[in-house]
Amino acid sequence: MSEAAAALHGVAQRFGRKVVLRGVDLELRPGGIVGLVGANGSGKTTLFAILSGLLQPDAGERRLFGRAADEVDAPARARLAYVAHATQLYGALSARENLRLFADLRAAAGLSTRPADEVLRELGLSPEALGRPVATFSRGMAQRVALARALAARPELLLLDEPFTALDAAGRGLLSRVLLDERSRGAAVLLSSHDFDALVQICDRIVLLEGGALARSVEHRGDREDFRRRAAALWHDLPADPGDTLVDGPR
Amino acid sequence: MRLLRQALLLLRSELRQELRDFELLLTAGFFTVVLLAMFYLSFASLQAKAHLHALPGLMWLTVAFVGVLTLTRVFDREREADTLRALLAAPIDRLAIYLAKAAMALSVLMVCCAVLVPGLWLIFPAAQAFADQPGQTALLALLGCGGYVAIGTLFAAGLATGAGKNTLLFIILYPLTTPVLMYALVTTRALIDRDPGLPGHLMQMFVLDVILFAAACLLFETVLIGAPVRPHRRPPLRPSVHRDMSREPSR
Repeated sequence: MSEAAAALHGVAQRFGRKVVLRGVDLELRPGGIVGLVGANGSGKTTLFAILSGLLQPDAGERRLFGRAADEVDAPARARLAYVAHATQLYGALSARENLRLFADLRAAAGLSTRPADEVLRELGLSPEALGRPVATFSRGMAQRVALARALAARPELLLLDEPFTALDAAGRGLLSRVLLDERSRGAAVLLSSHDFDALVQICDRIVLLEGGALARSVEHRGDREDFRRRAAALWHDLPADPGDTLVDGPR
Repeated sequence: MRLLRQALLLLRSELRQELRDFELLLTAGFFTVVLLAMFYLSFASLQAKAHLHALPGLMWLTVAFVGVLTLTRVFDREREADTLRALLAAPIDRLAIYLAKAAMALSVLMVCCAVLVPGLWLIFPAAQAFADQPGQTALLALLGCGGYVAIGTLFAAGLATGAGKNTLLFIILYPLTTPVLMYALVTTRALIDRDPGLPGHLMQMFVLDVILFAAACLLFETVLIGAPVRPHRRPPLRPSVHRDMSREPSR
């Protein structure tokens, strides 16, 4: 079996007196897409922050690409890409300039990146839009730029916090295809989403984060319909949250 | 070399954004002019001897106020779109972020000093010493602003990754920059008095700047990300109970 791209063992995190994660165990293997579901405030974003190295966990072990990662150093960060819930783009810069800045920074570290225009077009942005400031973009267009920046790095580990947010139906379909391509390429993907249909169509495993712990999971074993039924049961057990917006779910 | 290249790329991006709206320069420059006008209205009628005593304080009070405004705005750009986290997750030397931000803040402060010092000279005849010793005055401004920015950038960055506590910067920064400002006050007084010990004072300021800069470089990553994981730093929390629903019958 191939080595996990990322693994967490007993990872715990608290902010002040609030315990956000308690003893999380998770493995992300190359060529697999794992869906992360949970109510708002269940700790999904904290989990992404720990995996991407933006947060040091209070306890537990974090392993990246087969070695312990007490700190997520630059060589490890070169192999992963993180798309946060916010698009994290410079509004005054164009889509092309945003991507080129990060490409140039990678190039300065001796790392290659796919051409900005190529990736942006792949994600459905028109050539005229590439030179416009990102501040003039709709949320959906900005989300595509953020995804393009991540994909341009050809990451081995792709961390996507609610990537379907603000994308229209065509954009969701496009992103699903792109993620399946990434899986075929051998990338390990972790994505959180409230879009049930999108998750069951592309994920190999769906895990439920509940009370700061990975409570349950369902795995795809060849039959997509069977996977959908079992995932629906998991989805049905999601704790109700007034602020939680589930779309296309089977409830 | 890689660090410098990445810092220059980030600084170039900062400048590119600044040249599109001149937000930082206009805000800081306008504030400097407003302070000069207030100083004129308050102190111009005093005797020239009183000006001699007041000048160092007026100069560095302006730098302290404009400095904190500049540092806040430099990181507000990152805070608005959460772009600082994108940089922290990128495979770059994180110190490059500090260097670029510090260079940007220092550039803005030096532009403000280019308005402030001639302004003080126009308002207060006692400031003739600035015009008589332009090289030493420029060096004094550079060293004073450099020390202020070295420590200020560190804490402004730390607050930028937090949950919007800009007001904290004022509370934290002024006590911490007091040594730099005190040294700058004493050196400015020496310059105005044409003290032969001025080079010694400037050298002391240089040494202080180097110490502050080195300390900030050492602490930057820890302030932004936190200390590396130390296993079992806290007592273990209740472990996660993971139930694999893949082995359960479909509902």
